[in-house]
Amino acid sequence: MKTKQLQHLFLRAGFGITPQLANDLSKKNRKKVVDFLFTTSTFQPLEMDLSDFSIYTQEYMKDKANSMEFQRKSNEKIRDYNKLWIERLANSETLLREKMTLFWANHFVCKNQNIYFVQQYNNTLRKNALGNFGDFVKEISKEPAMLNYLNSRQNRKKQPNENFARELMELFTLGVGNYSEKEVKESARAFTGYSYNFDGAFTIAKYHHDEGLKTFFDETGNFTGDDIIDIILKQQQCARFICEKIYRYFVNDKVNENHLDELTTVFYKDYNIEKLMKFLFLKDWFYDAEHIGTKIKSPIELLVGMQKMVPFSFQDTKDVQKIQRLLGQVLLDPPNVAGWKGGKNWIDSNTIILRLKLPSILLSNAEISIKEKGEFEDSFEKYHASNKNQKDFAKVTVDWDFFEESFKNTSFDEMKSLFLITAPNEGTETYLSHLIKSSKREFCIQLMSLPEYQIC
Amino acid sequence: MKRRDFLKQSTLASSLFFIPGFLKAFENSPPNNFGYKRLVMIQLAGGNDGLNTIVPFTNDDYYRSRPKIALQKNDLIPVSDSLGFHSSLLPLKNLYDQGNLTVINNVGYPNPDRSHFRSTDIWQTASNSNQYWQTGWVGRYLDAHGSNAYNAIEIDDSLSLLMKGENINGIATQNPTNLFKLSQDPYFKSVLNHYNDEHLSEHNLGYLYKTMIDAKSSSKYIFEKNNIASNNTTYPNNQFANQLKTTAKLINSGLETRVFFSSLGGFDTHANQLNSQKRLLDVYATSIEAFINDLKKQGTFNDTLIVTFSEFGRRVKENAGNGTDHGAASNVFIIGNQLKKQGFYNDLASLSDLDSNGDLKYTVDFRTIYASILQNWLAVNDEKILQQKFNTLDFI
Repeated sequence: MKTKQLQHLFLRAGFGITPQLANDLSKKNRKKVVDFLFTTSTFQPLEMDLSDFSIYTQEYMKDKANSMEFQRKSNEKIRDYNKLWIERLANSETLLREKMTLFWANHFVCKNQNIYFVQQYNNTLRKNALGNFGDFVKEISKEPAMLNYLNSRQNRKKQPNENFARELMELFTLGVGNYSEKEVKESARAFTGYSYNFDGAFTIAKYHHDEGLKTFFDETGNFTGDDIIDIILKQQQCARFICEKIYRYFVNDKVNENHLDELTTVFYKDYNIEKLMKFLFLKDWFYDAEHIGTKIKSPIELLVGMQKMVPFSFQDTKDVQKIQRLLGQVLLDPPNVAGWKGGKNWIDSNTIILRLKLPSILLSNAEISIKEKGEFEDSFEKYHASNKNQKDFAKVTVDWDFFEESFKNTSFDEMKSLFLITAPNEGTETYLSHLIKSSKREFCIQLMSLPEYQIC
Repeated sequence: MKRRDFLKQSTLASSLFFIPGFLKAFENSPPNNFGYKRLVMIQLAGGNDGLNTIVPFTNDDYYRSRPKIALQKNDLIPVSDSLGFHSSLLPLKNLYDQGNLTVINNVGYPNPDRSHFRSTDIWQTASNSNQYWQTGWVGRYLDAHGSNAYNAIEIDDSLSLLMKGENINGIATQNPTNLFKLSQDPYFKSVLNHYNDEHLSEHNLGYLYKTMIDAKSSSKYIFEKNNIASNNTTYPNNQFANQLKTTAKLINSGLETRVFFSSLGGFDTHANQLNSQKRLLDVYATSIEAFINDLKKQGTFNDTLIVTFSEFGRRVKENAGNGTDHGAASNVFIIGNQLKKQGFYNDLASLSDLDSNGDLKYTVDFRTIYASILQNWLAVNDEKILQQKFNTLDFI
């Protein structure tokens, strides 16, 4: 495969590609490369050590003070889990599965304050990320984190709460306008009584479950929640809705209707996510120039992408949180059930400044070299002498040895092409050519500090 | 007001018309404060308990619902036969006496959401409670009538949904010097100076460049204005007062900013409400007092309207922890020198006829307040910005 195509594929299916991997895979054809993505994407749950939480038994938590203590400590653990997730994204070999997990986390959007439920939910996303969509939705509908987030526990025969039923159709399967209020009401009845126990296992409270007949999309029966999901899957619109979201996320913000039709046809057959993604990555049009270098990286894609090229780790969990918050995307803490909108919405005056400044802040003491050929620049020294705030922004351990080793056979020109998927603006290109290229580290910082680096 | 008029009023008009792109530095524009209407939005984040802020001290239902945390008449600052201000709100009582305060009671929206995040989004986007909008109403105001990020400033480190439009966003700054320094890296300067924007503006890359160029010039403009301005009042020493101090400085500098936004957090008083609310209201009221004095001394109060809201009020009935849980409708404060209806705009809603959660029923949709401000204060088409037609109220 050609290097640009490889880069494109790995930016979308992962978080970028290192020179070695690009080199190794360049000898393989597309089919082999895509197979590589799938065979490496085994399911490896992301679990953290919770042994110090064994004191929080059901009995112990009956005391209100203890339960509040659990709540507080649980929130701390969730922040640790957030850091762990980011480290997983940066270091894992199971690229595609992790990227898909991130995608689904912004599809089945959910938030919870119990670390056990958060972890369980996160691994349900990871496990099903390339599985069968129908099974996936059914599992999600029974996850304690989701049951809690969309008020399923308050959904009772006597007083139905429609929150989950509505979002199930509006956001998770069909999209707004593809069902009526009657469908919401009837399906809410099928999900009545859904609940969970202390250990996070799904239960149905028989007393609260509505056993009566429900009429949903012209079918009538004593439907359970799973039956409702099966009926939803029969609507081709469901396959189309998911494929459109996949297309916008992995291909282009602007949808090509013909391409979408192709995806929908494949997906509607059996709702197999792996088959769909394989089909997509093998398609010629996936590699069309109009799709390459057209998307704006999400904050996580930006942060993790940098780590792929120059491995670094945060010393303090608070710093990882702060950066995500300032960039507008904190994992496990979505703004609402609709998730992050993405695209241009990531960008405002504050986030663009921070995005461009972030590589130098994290990796080079907030300094970006501006040494040009044949001239001395003193404003540089003056500017950087007074930037204490920026230097203290976050404590990071950087593995430059890895970088040096991995780029030792890469020329400056090849570097430019590896860091920037899109051709730089003409003026920017000219400016880059004037810079003195003596250090690959400096050049790496310069490249990552360009607007072009925000693109994938 | 049309976009053209906005530009005409703006002293930047000349540079914007004749210099392509965003590269012009704005340091030469003289302050032009006359008739330049501004809005300062303040959120009491966490859900302020409106009932213990302005207290119905003759209402038996109030005392029955809150045996432990109800405030007694002699602890209050009475303003009418039936309503009294919380003892921390003496500065607000003074504004009330001077005709600079309008209190709108029972402000809310249909089908209220009791999550902080959702309800904040609803207040900031002006959506219905079942809609998830991705632009704030101030952001949409910028889309229609703004030209640069600094037309709307949030005094914080990151930008809230309120300030985000489809095509143009406000800018956030807690500290104009830090933001300026961050944006003025010599490397960015060189890159942006070399940038040519002939064929890129519609693509994402062009958008990134454009936003960075605007951010760089906006932060420079804010920094320079902030440097020449000063405060003429002593402020209390806390973060919220500092935010208002920065706001006053920027207003008094003649910065061409229509909307400022700040928030004061901590109002989520589920437990031991009395002390924490007392402290917070004191922070709020003393900071506002200093802020208004500062504006008055520099002649900018007349053209400034200050609106204080909270994402929801709290449950009428107290809880077991000497606090209150999330509620629905609550009061909104409007402060200014050009108020048409001063004092109480409307009566407090019934405390016996509550919604099914035991919360106050709203009688004023918060978006009618926005509509009134947009139409009567900022003189623009409110329907376009709110994307729905709302009645306007005659408080301004």
